[in-house]
Amino acid sequence: MIDIPKNLTQFLFEQTTEKEREWLEEKVKSNVLDLMTAFVAAPRFLSKKIVSYDSKSKGCLIPHQVGFQVDGWNLVRLSRVWLLLHLPTEPKEQFIKNIETLFDTAELNELVALYSALPLLPYPWEWLPRATDAVRSNMGFVFDAIALLNPYPELYFPELAWNQLVLKTIFNGKPIHWIYGIDRRKNKELAEAVSDFISERLAAGRKVPLQIWRLVSPFANESISPKLITLFTSELKAEREVAALVCFESTNPQVHSLLLKYPDLELSIQNGELDWSKLESIPE
Amino acid sequence: MCQNPNEPSKNPSHFESIHSSENLPTHRDLLWEDYQNLIQGLRFFDPHIHMVSRTTDDYQMMAKAGIVAIIEPAFWVGQPRTGLASFKDYYSSLVGWERFRSSQFGIKHYCTMGLNSREANNERLAEEVMEILPLFAYKEGVVGIGEIGFDDQTPLEEKYYRLQLELAKNAKLPVQIHTPHRDKKRGTERSMSIALEHGLDPSFVVVDHNNEETMKSVLDQGFWAAFTIYPFTKMGNERMVAVVEKYGSERIMINSSADWGISDPLAIPKTAALMKQRGIPSEVIRMVTYQNAIDAFAKSGQIDVTDFETESQPDPNAKFHGNSILRGGQQPVINKNSLLIQ
Repeated sequence: MIDIPKNLTQFLFEQTTEKEREWLEEKVKSNVLDLMTAFVAAPRFLSKKIVSYDSKSKGCLIPHQVGFQVDGWNLVRLSRVWLLLHLPTEPKEQFIKNIETLFDTAELNELVALYSALPLLPYPWEWLPRATDAVRSNMGFVFDAIALLNPYPELYFPELAWNQLVLKTIFNGKPIHWIYGIDRRKNKELAEAVSDFISERLAAGRKVPLQIWRLVSPFANESISPKLITLFTSELKAEREVAALVCFESTNPQVHSLLLKYPDLELSIQNGELDWSKLESIPE
Repeated sequence: MCQNPNEPSKNPSHFESIHSSENLPTHRDLLWEDYQNLIQGLRFFDPHIHMVSRTTDDYQMMAKAGIVAIIEPAFWVGQPRTGLASFKDYYSSLVGWERFRSSQFGIKHYCTMGLNSREANNERLAEEVMEILPLFAYKEGVVGIGEIGFDDQTPLEEKYYRLQLELAKNAKLPVQIHTPHRDKKRGTERSMSIALEHGLDPSFVVVDHNNEETMKSVLDQGFWAAFTIYPFTKMGNERMVAVVEKYGSERIMINSSADWGISDPLAIPKTAALMKQRGIPSEVIRMVTYQNAIDAFAKSGQIDVTDFETESQPDPNAKFHGNSILRGGQQPVINKNSLLIQ
C-alpha cells in the first residue's frame, strides 16, 4: 500500500458524512477485489457534491507533489483516488494488472478519477502509454483530467507527447495556462508548431487565443516579424500587448528592437503591469 | 437474416424477419413542420434507442424535438461478435464514448447492460461475457439488465436469460425484456413466467416490443408494457394511439428502438403529436412518453431527474472557484439549411 498522505485523508473526511466515512473506511479494510468494486460502486454510496476547497491549503494535500490539486472535484472523484491509493502495490505485476483492469472497464467518470490519480500512483513510468492515450481522447472530461491541472504530464511526458498535449489543448479551445508546467516546458519544436498553427488560422480568417503566443516568444525570430508588426497596428489593445510581450521576451535582436517604437508598452511590462496572465481567457 | 434482400427499403429491425407488407393505415410519418407546434414545450424520455447506430443529425433533431434523456440497451450490432474483447469495448462505449457524445447534444444518456438473446447461442463466448457482465452492471448510469430474453427460444437462450435474471436480482436492477418477433405471444409468456419463477418483482420488469395481442397479459400480471414505434415491423404510431385510447396510460410506455434498421429516432415526439391531435389528455401523453419510463427505471437508483429537468443551458462563461467551467469539445450548432460551410 502507498503511504497515504495524512492531509489527503483528513481533507477527505472533512467532506464526508459519518455514513460515507464509515463506508470508505470499511472498503479499504477489505480484499483487493472488493476495493476495486468499491472504486466502481462509489457513486452508489457517496454524494457528488463538489468538495469545498480552501485555496489556503492548495499544494498542501500532498506535500511531495505540490502540483496535485482537487479544485472543482466532486466527492466521488476524490474518494475514488483515495481508494486507489489503498491497493497493495506489491507484487508490482499484480498492482499494474489491477490498475489496467480498472482502466479497461472504466466508464467516463472512472477514467477521470484514474487519470487524476496518476501523479500519486507508484511505478509512474508504467502509466505513460495510458496517459498519452488520454490526450488522444475525444471525451472532453477525460482529456481535461490528464491535460489540465495535473502534474503528471510535466513530470513524465517526453517532448513529443508534451507538445501534442499542448497543441491539442489549444485545438480544443481550452486554456493553456491550466496545463501544469506550461511555462517550464517551452521548447523550440513547440514554438514552431504553434507559429505554424497561428499562420494557418489567420489564413482561414479565424482567431487564435492570444495567450498561445507565450509559447512562441522565447524562440521568436525574424520570420514572425511581419505578424508582430500586424499585431502592433491592431485596433485591439490585447493584440498590441501580445506583440509587445513577444518582442520583450524574444532573444532575437531584430524582434526585440520592434518594441522600441512602443515605449509605453515596454514600460508597462518592465513595471510588472503587463504580463501573460492578463491574456488568460478562454477564447469565444 | 434478411428474408428478402431485394427489398432494401424494408430492412428488418434487429432480429426480425419481414412479413407480408400489407399497407394498412397503421403508421403515419409526419414532417417536422406538421407536428412541431403540437409538441412545443413537452419533454420526452426514450427508454429504448440504440445510439451507436445513429448519427449526430439524429441527436440534434432529438434534442430539438424535446427528448431530454434516453436509455440505450446493450444489443446485437447487426453481425455476430467473435470475441470477448468486442463485447468489452461495446459495453465500455455505452458508458463512455456514447454517453459523452449524447451529452454534447444536451441529452442525458443511460444504458442497460446484458447479453442479447441472439448471441446467447454462442455458448463459449456467452460464458466469457457472463464473467465480465457484473463489472459493468454496477456502473453509474446503468439502469437495468437488458435487453435480454428470447429470439429463437433455444435452450441456450433460456440458460443465459435465467442467469441474467439472477444478476439483476442481486444487483437490485430493473430488467428490460426483449420479446421475440417470431412466435411472439408464446415467447412473451415464457419470458414472464421465468421471471416470476426467479422471484422477480414484476414492477422491476419492463416487457418490450408489445403489440395488441401480448399487452393484456403483461399488464394483468403487473409488468410494465413497453411499445416500440417502428415503421413496417412493429407498432405503427396510429395503432399506438388507439392502444392508449383504449387502455389509458397505466404502466404503458413507448420507445423508438431506433437502430441500424429503417427506424425513427423521433418516434416518441411524433406519436405524442398524434395523440395530441386525437385529443388524448396531456397528462396521459406525459405518462407514456416520459414519466412511466422514468418511474420504471429509476428503481435502479441511477436516475436523478434534475440532470435533465433543469432548463438552464450551460453557460460557457460561468465561473467556478474563479475558473471557467469547461465543457469538453462542445459541438457547435450549425445551420443545416445554409449552403455555406464555414
